[in-house]
Amino acid sequence: MTETIDQHQEGKRDVTFRVFRFNPQVDSKPYFDDYTISAERGITVLRSLNYIKEHVDATLSFRAFCQAGICGSCGMRVNGISKLACTSQVWEELDKCREPGIIKVEPLRSLPMIKDLIVDMDPLVDKMKHYSNWIDSTMPLAEMGKKEFLVSEEEFHRYDKATDCILCASCVSECSILRANKEYVSPAVLLKSYRMNVDSRDSIHDVRLAELVKDHGVWDCTHCYRCQESCVKSIPIMEAIHAIREDALECRGPKDTSGAKHAEAFMEDIEKKGKLVEATLPIRTNGMVWTLRNLLPMAVKMIVKRRTPPPPPLVKSAKGIKIFRVMFREMTEHVKQDHQKTHKK
Amino acid sequence: MKRYAYYMSCINESMTKELDRSIDFWQKDLGLEFVKLHEGTCCGGSNLDYVSPKHFALVNARNIALAEKMGLDLIVSCNTCLMTIRTAKKKLDETPALKKEVNDILKKEGLEYRGTSEVRHLLWVLVDDVGLDAIKAKVTVPLKNYRIAPFYGCHILRPSTVLGRDNPLAPSSLDQLIEALGGQTIPYEHKNRCCGFHTLLVAEEESLNVAAEALEEAISAKADFIVTPCPLCHTVLDGYQSKALKQAHIESSIPVFHISEMVGLALGYTAKQLGIKRHIVV
Amino acid sequence: MKPFDIVIVGGGGAGLYAAMEAMKTNPALNIAVLSKVYPNRSHTSAAQGGANAALGNKAKDDTIEMHIFDTIKGSDYLADQDAVEVLCSEAPKIIRELENIGTPWSRLDDNTIAQRPFGGAGRPRCCYCADKTGHTILQTLYEQCLRKGVLFFNEYFALNLSVNGSRSRGLIAMNMKTGKVEAFPAKTVIFATGGYAKMYWNRSSNAAGNSGDGQAIAFRAGIPMKDMEFVQFHPTGLRKSGLLVTEGARGEGGYLINKDGERFMARYAKEKMELGPRDLVSRSIETEILEGRGFNSPAGKYIHLDLRHLGADLIKSRLPQIREMSLNFEGVDPIEEPIPVRPTAHYSMGGIDTDNFGRTVMDGVYAAGECACVSVHGANRLGGNSLLDILVFGRIVGHTAAEEAGKFSPATISEAELKESVDELRNRMQPSGHYERYGALREELGQTLALNVGIFRESSLLHKGIQDIAELKERFKKVRVFDSSDVFNTNLMQVLELQNMLELAETVAVGALAREESRGSHTRIDFPVRDDEKWHKHTLATLVDGKVLPGEKPVTMGRYELQERTY
Repeated sequence: MTETIDQHQEGKRDVTFRVFRFNPQVDSKPYFDDYTISAERGITVLRSLNYIKEHVDATLSFRAFCQAGICGSCGMRVNGISKLACTSQVWEELDKCREPGIIKVEPLRSLPMIKDLIVDMDPLVDKMKHYSNWIDSTMPLAEMGKKEFLVSEEEFHRYDKATDCILCASCVSECSILRANKEYVSPAVLLKSYRMNVDSRDSIHDVRLAELVKDHGVWDCTHCYRCQESCVKSIPIMEAIHAIREDALECRGPKDTSGAKHAEAFMEDIEKKGKLVEATLPIRTNGMVWTLRNLLPMAVKMIVKRRTPPPPPLVKSAKGIKIFRVMFREMTEHVKQDHQKTHKK
Repeated sequence: MKRYAYYMSCINESMTKELDRSIDFWQKDLGLEFVKLHEGTCCGGSNLDYVSPKHFALVNARNIALAEKMGLDLIVSCNTCLMTIRTAKKKLDETPALKKEVNDILKKEGLEYRGTSEVRHLLWVLVDDVGLDAIKAKVTVPLKNYRIAPFYGCHILRPSTVLGRDNPLAPSSLDQLIEALGGQTIPYEHKNRCCGFHTLLVAEEESLNVAAEALEEAISAKADFIVTPCPLCHTVLDGYQSKALKQAHIESSIPVFHISEMVGLALGYTAKQLGIKRHIVV
Repeated sequence: MKPFDIVIVGGGGAGLYAAMEAMKTNPALNIAVLSKVYPNRSHTSAAQGGANAALGNKAKDDTIEMHIFDTIKGSDYLADQDAVEVLCSEAPKIIRELENIGTPWSRLDDNTIAQRPFGGAGRPRCCYCADKTGHTILQTLYEQCLRKGVLFFNEYFALNLSVNGSRSRGLIAMNMKTGKVEAFPAKTVIFATGGYAKMYWNRSSNAAGNSGDGQAIAFRAGIPMKDMEFVQFHPTGLRKSGLLVTEGARGEGGYLINKDGERFMARYAKEKMELGPRDLVSRSIETEILEGRGFNSPAGKYIHLDLRHLGADLIKSRLPQIREMSLNFEGVDPIEEPIPVRPTAHYSMGGIDTDNFGRTVMDGVYAAGECACVSVHGANRLGGNSLLDILVFGRIVGHTAAEEAGKFSPATISEAELKESVDELRNRMQPSGHYERYGALREELGQTLALNVGIFRESSLLHKGIQDIAELKERFKKVRVFDSSDVFNTNLMQVLELQNMLELAETVAVGALAREESRGSHTRIDFPVRDDEKWHKHTLATLVDGKVLPGEKPVTMGRYELQERTY
């Protein structure tokens, strides 16, 4: 006996993969195929799909390339969540099944379907182009390659994490707004835009920002944080989105869009009353015409139900508002001083 | 009796008054006492954080300091207020310089942010402090004939680095509460998705599409009603429901309850007492 | 389709740099980049370590000459010294250029580009961006190509060159989205399709698509391959996937253990133990396995990389990525269990024979990057020189093709020729009687290569390997494509990739049999020493009438005399 005992001798578990199928050439609508295989511990969802393709059904179509979690090809929804198939362990997924023993595999959402688990990435690339997701260097062409920019560790850390993005489009698939509006900029593109905008080597910050504050841009994000939670590289995408908004308010003021005005209104109300004056928020965000057209029909129902927010004079200020205002304004002074300091730099 | 400081969210004092009102009925039944913080101010929603990070820190350090002064945890019943105040707490706890700057100002009011009080959601108090068994024992009108669609909303779950109570993509606490009250939860994909509230005034059509998807799924899963721990989600799913469904060409409707109302019903209070008639969809 | 001036096949570091440089050289040119994946997916992204350049940021006394010497010595004196000089002299410029256009290099305290020590280098000259250098370089290049409006044909699978005597008329490729076979008539074609080490399949760390498509296409068109026998192995690849567990694990004090529980490196490198040079550790592990002291599993034999004694804290704080890899790809937590590993093929030194400008023997056909063999790596590539190679020679080849495109008259590809390619594909998709599954063949190819053309080579093993490959090629004729769909037929694509791997595998085995010496990554048990007299030369492999014709080519020498390679 030369055979040795494998200390990793491990059990196998029967797993059914319920896979989304759609071939536009023959299918009028998508359907699911079940493939039951025996999977040992340590096997990933991608390896299982490879196995199915090689041994059970060669027509099953999906993308896979590096199989090591860096190329971003195999983004798909496993048990309803967008992720990389190559880094998802089958045994772990078994604990997350809605129906015991059945792992559901579907294509990413919000991108056009091509076939089975393959979706079209072109819309994402088009948006990267639209929002100038590149550095337009301040280095003159003639100087290129001759010297380095000096970049501080601090600046490097501003975009370090953002450059982890592998464009797997998991965030795109999970984004709430993108599901409702395909023209929306997309979390990945916001992240990349942020990364470019904080890079001192870049010369088109203002151009990029001007595009980002338009319709379907940064103000349309609804803060659901799904992008961040599903990011396969754990990038805090919402922080980048907030940073773009902060930058937009700082550089452009609240004039741009309803989103910016909406955000500024919070500041105003808190300083005045300590409480939000909800009744006039729509007017301050979108103007009187919009408010009347969009909200009047509902307002009638609300009034009947005594559900309307009170008009501004009736909004009770928070208790102790006087001292609160003093403190709030003191902080305003701090912020002013901070600004002066950074501008001196 | 377990005592808590209760944060009064702006929306619960205006559009969703029934939420706080329901709590007043049953808090004693469950051995809870919520002390309302009338001095508390608006948390800044999800906006103040990037409009002015320092004001954001100050305002919420103060909200928490008010609870700390009483030696109580701060309980919040609006998801976004919860996420916002917890975000501020995290920043204050991780940034000593910011904490000091804020405390120097808070001195004026005799307050200090120390970081000793936890900031938690009403739902968490029910599930974790009162406990499912204790709740079960108090139920007089079990919701056993009802198929209930739990709608968690975003900011009780995400960002998980700030919230951390439930699995952000597969939560369970609300399901557990529904089951403790005798109801049947229905599995549906949208239970941890977004209601669209935060872009309602900015991108209304998109927001309502988001809401319509959730409503449609709950309706087609034959839920009797939706329940949500967040008054903002409630405002969209109830208040904007007809508009959203009309936009999506769906002819149907579904009532939406606050968790405080659902608990009230199961503990024997009437719809009238709880103010459920204030809802747009009933 | 409108005739192109330049068609670039491959969208990794070399291809994208070539595109960028060609546009810069002559903006009026009509340039296309074809890639079988979206360019940002290319395997360049997997390179973690960095790129060497004697910037002198970290070590002020570093010089280009030292970089040249380290590279030549590392190559076991098989690299062409004039080519190495180009590589190393261009290095600082290329790194700075990348920096200028946005690559997020890590930084030193003085805010200059960070550099760190790397194996075989006399000075710390490896420029890096954390552990994602290749990824960030690829992103930068892709971003810049989007900025410049490079015309991309994404998810196109290259099939064949269209050849007219001694010159190419362009390329024939399949659009994966539609299944349509399309002609790309072009004055010049640049191959930048990456390496061929995936032919070792599960015993390779490469991406699934590193099947050497460019080399195989060029080979079929009669262009010679050079030094194909040189394939670099990394000592610790994961058992199931072949993915690399980086040196860091051993650097922090991990043990290599055989099935008898022995720290066997004591037998091979008493002093350095697990920290011996890569090739020595690879050979040691392989010896343990061959002599029956490895563990057994359905996925093959392996040994243990044991980190448990380092403790959970150290593993979590210093080796988080290695732990994550082990958990994600092997399902093993190194805090609780040893990681199953074995040597894995990860880089191919050989490739399309080119001169220092990326030209091949065929007019209008160029190559750069891992797909080419200039040769700057000779018998063994130094860490940090692979990214550098693709950048420097990608840039050069882009410039050269842009300058030379004007020499050639516009090309056309006839309908008849296009139809030939379509028919060839159709034939493959016709089911007929007994058939073979491509998955099994691919698996067997990897096994025979690992066993017979692997780390240890010997005449009888190599003969066996050559015979196996011939048999696999025969069986391949019966491989059936089950998917009859035109839309994104990955079944067909993988079969075509297997064909490319089979064709190149023969050149690797033939080269290995011919080279009766041990040099760099090529270890012959029957010829254990370097034989400069007979074998200080490149091997060539050319396809003539369906047969591999071996050939040879002298090594270009320069300032550095042959020496024994010791460290």
